[in-house]
Parts: sequence; structure tokens; C-alpha cells
Amino acid sequence: MKENQALRALIVDDEKSIRRFLKAALVSHGYTVFEAPNGVEALENLASCHPDVIILDLGLPDQDGISVTHEIRKRIKTPIIILSVRDQENDKILALDAGADDYLTKPFSVDELLARLRAVMRRLVPQNEETVFKAGKLCVDVAKHTVELDESPLQLTPTEYEILKTLVLNAGKVVTQKQLLKEVWNKTEDMEGASHLLRVTISHLRNKLEPNPDRPTYVVTEPGVGYRLHSED
Amino acid sequence: MNKMNPDHLPLEQGRGWRGYLKSTLLVAAVTLAGEFVKRYLEPTNLVMFYLLAVVIAAMRWGRGPAIVASVLGVLAFDFFLIPPYLTFAVAAWQYLFTFIGLLIVGLLISELMIKTREQAEKVRQLELLKATEKLQTALLNSISHDLRTPLSSIIGSISMLLQDAPSLDEETIHELLEDAYDESNRLNRIVGNILDTARMEAGALRISPNFCELRDILGVSLQELKPKLSHRSVDIQIPHDFPEIPMDFSWILKVFINLIDNAVKYSPSGTPIRMGATHQGEKVKIEISNEGAGIPDEDLKLIFDKFYRAGKPEQTGGLGLGLSICKGIIEAHHGEIWAENRPGNKGVTLVILLPLVRQSL
Repeated sequence: MKENQALRALIVDDEKSIRRFLKAALVSHGYTVFEAPNGVEALENLASCHPDVIILDLGLPDQDGISVTHEIRKRIKTPIIILSVRDQENDKILALDAGADDYLTKPFSVDELLARLRAVMRRLVPQNEETVFKAGKLCVDVAKHTVELDESPLQLTPTEYEILKTLVLNAGKVVTQKQLLKEVWNKTEDMEGASHLLRVTISHLRNKLEPNPDRPTYVVTEPGVGYRLHSED
Repeated sequence: MNKMNPDHLPLEQGRGWRGYLKSTLLVAAVTLAGEFVKRYLEPTNLVMFYLLAVVIAAMRWGRGPAIVASVLGVLAFDFFLIPPYLTFAVAAWQYLFTFIGLLIVGLLISELMIKTREQAEKVRQLELLKATEKLQTALLNSISHDLRTPLSSIIGSISMLLQDAPSLDEETIHELLEDAYDESNRLNRIVGNILDTARMEAGALRISPNFCELRDILGVSLQELKPKLSHRSVDIQIPHDFPEIPMDFSWILKVFINLIDNAVKYSPSGTPIRMGATHQGEKVKIEISNEGAGIPDEDLKLIFDKFYRAGKPEQTGGLGLGLSICKGIIEAHHGEIWAENRPGNKGVTLVILLPLVRQSL
């Protein structure tokens, strides 16, 4: 992220106290913050405040966050981070499929918020054609199609590599099952057979990557949503 | 714990035809016995047996059967035991008094018995009500204690920071904030448990089962509990051909987080936690064991009751809802959950049995 140019964040939440603490956290990390207490104002302010990132609560008083996500996506590609409460798994997936980039489950800590922001923003800033991804002992070069673990090359099947590549290109960001099925198998339907295949391949990938496949640290499961490549230590 | 349940009051037992049938049979039995002893006893003495039958009918089966016993008693007495036998004709008119006496005394006794029983029932219900009230007060106290404790430290720490921040050194500020943060998380867990319980009580537990890998769920649970597992070795034994199980990932995750957390909470630091799974026909069996103190045998079932907790609340800092929620979730999956002491008092194993066939949940 560039230090000299302040990033602009739009916070959409009806709870004043949530907006306040989000604002404090973001301002102290150099963001310029705009606020909207409901969906209508959020959409109205979209053009005037030119946000670099939108933090959107799913439970707004006037309309639900999923339709706000749809509306935003009709106009701009600005990253959206969803705020949800527990037990909104289904809404979360709907919002992600509608084009939201990631989500945070309330209550969350500022650390988690900043990690999500970093992951989302990283993809936004072109990384000088950077094609090598590193996390811990894992090193993936997307240009050369190579994967190294602990500096020794790792043999992956084409499907395993495709999954890892999709996760790497979205490092730190949640990737839904639906996205993976589409990217890797080009399947749009959510068939039981397809998601079984996905789980089995993820399991094989973990057996090759993870120091302890029973307690994965790189490819982590996001309950009910999908997977995330852990990109920070 | 007694429950108020009007369907199971003893008074109701005699309702229906069973009570009438039984009192008829009783009268028949008394008459049969009378047949054998009438040679040795004056007929009026036999009346006592019929009275006894009426008392028994009143005591056990209620008013209706007692009246039936009185009337049938009079008829049977006349028919079988008073000469001329096997006819309702009466040789000596004085027996009329015996009949009327038997009927009146029978009715009176049955009435008295029933009054006494109703009285006893009222007392029992009152006691039950008192016990329920006591329980509710205790629950309320315990809930408000559990909610207030974290809130107190949150409010305390933050008010301190608001007022005295300039005069505090950085370390103290950090500690206060850390406390407020940790306590907020604790409060969040407690509120979550109360909400889950309320949802279950309201029958609003929605389960949407999908095939999941047990390994995956355990992995996420362990990740969630990472800070608490830093001094523990975790041993997982799952066969490589272990099948996928139809479950609701988010709800079952809650079960495992709860069970592993419990296994850690109730065993000394440094001792291992073991998890294993086996596959038997249409069912899978999953076990989580620790090496902590055992549970008294009589409590093995109670631990799944709401608000039950081992030891004092101050020590464990929970509401005692965790295992009752686990049980609710597992049962909603048509599974079973129970606790066993490991042989030789070497800790406790929590066992879960889940069906492999997806059922309409």
C-alpha cells in the first residue's frame, strides 16, 4: 500500500458504536473514512466518496446487505468486506457469490479486520508482475508452475495445482466452494459429487503441503463457506 | 430434577376402563374367596372383605372404580354368599341393612380416600412448584452472575482507561485492555450459548446436513482452540478409509469445540487429548478422551443436563450449557452422545454415534 496516498474506506453499518470503532481503527492506519448508516445512503455516497474499500454490514435497517452488494457490483469493482453475525452462513455465501470479497464475523478484533483489508488490498495494487507467493515454508511460482516446500520441489497433480493456484491468487482471502468448482472444474452447478471431489482433492493437497494434515495451517477451512490460504504468520 | 408434568400425576392412572376392569376383577376375587370361607364365617363378616376391596379400588383407581366396587360388591354378596344362593332373593330381611350399610360405607370410604389423595396431590404439586421456583431463582442468579462477572471487569477496565489513561504506564494500559478484550470474548461465548439454548428450546434448531470430512471439522476445532492447546499433545486416529458423514458443519463444529475445550478444562495441564473414530456399518463412532479426574458414575448422565457443571461455577466460568447444547445438536442429527469413565479412573471419554445415511433432519 502506498503511504503517501490515503486509502478511502466506506463503512456501512447502522450501529453507531461499530462505525466509531471501525473508524478509529482505520484512521489510525492511515485511511480516510466515510460512513453510511443504511443501504440507501451507502449507494448514494458511492459516487461522491470514491472508496477503495467498502465495509458492509449484512443486517441493515432498510435493505439486506446481499442486495446492496448486488447494487454496488452493478456500478463498481471496489472490494467489499461483509460484516455478519454468527449463523448467517447462508447470507454470507450469497453475498460472496454476489461479488463481495471477504467477510468478518461479528464480534471481530481489529487484527482480523486489518488482515482482511491487507489481503483484499494486496490484490488491488499490481505487485510489479509479482508471480511468486511465499508463506512460511511454502513457495508457489504461478508463472513457472512450480511449488516448493522447505526449498524442495513438490509434485502436485494438475487438479491439486489448480486449486492451490486459485487459493494463491486469492491469498489471505476466502474462496467459496462454488468459486473453486468453477475455477478448477468449470462446474457451475453445486453437485454433491463435485463438492466431494473438491474435499478429497483438498485433503490430498493438505497431505502433501501441511506439516500436520490433521491441523492444517496453510489451507484452512472456512466453516460452511469455503477455504482460505493462510498468507500471514 | 423434577418436572411439572400434569400428564403423569398418579391420580390419572385409573382413568379409563382399566381401573373399572381391575376393581371388577377384585370384587370377583373377593367373592371367590368368600365361596371358600362362607362355611366357617357368618355372612356379615364377609362384608369386611368387600369393604377392603372398595378401599383398595378407591386408593388405587379413583372414584368411579370404587363406586363400581361398592355396587358390584353388594350384588355379588347377595347373589353368591347370602342364602338362597345364586339368586337376588333374600331370605332374611335383615340382610337388607347389611346391603345398604355396605353400599353407604363403601361410598363414604371411597369418597374419603379420594379426598385424602387429592389433598396429598395438592401438597405434592405445591412442593414441586416451590422447587421449580427455587430452581428458577438459582438459575437466574447463576446466569446473572455469569453475565455480570465479565461485564464488571470490562466496565471496570475501560472506565479506568477513560479516566486515568494519562497517569497509567503503558504496561498497565495494555493489561487493562487485554482484560477487557478477554472478558468480552468470554461474554460473547456465554451469550452464544444462551442463544443456542433458547433456539433449541423453541425448536428452532435448523440443521442442513452436507457430507463433511471429520478430519476437516477436527482441524478447524483445533485451530479455534489453539491458544488453549499450547501445552497439550493432541493425538488423532482416523482410519484412511473413514467415510464422509452427513452433518451440518457449523453446528457439529460447535460440538467438537465444546468437547475438546471440556477435555482440556477438566484435565491437568500437560496431559494428552486423544481423538479417534471408527466406522461400524451404518454408523460412525467418534471418541474424545482426556486424562483428567473421572466423573462419579451417578453423574455421567447428569452432565448433559442444562446448567449442570462439575465443581464450582467460579472455577470453570461457564453456564453449564455446553454439553446440553452438544446433546441437542447430536440428537438433531439422529445421533447419540454419552460419557464414559476410562478404565482405572484414567480420565473420561465422550462418545458420539452418528448415522452415515442422510436422514430427513
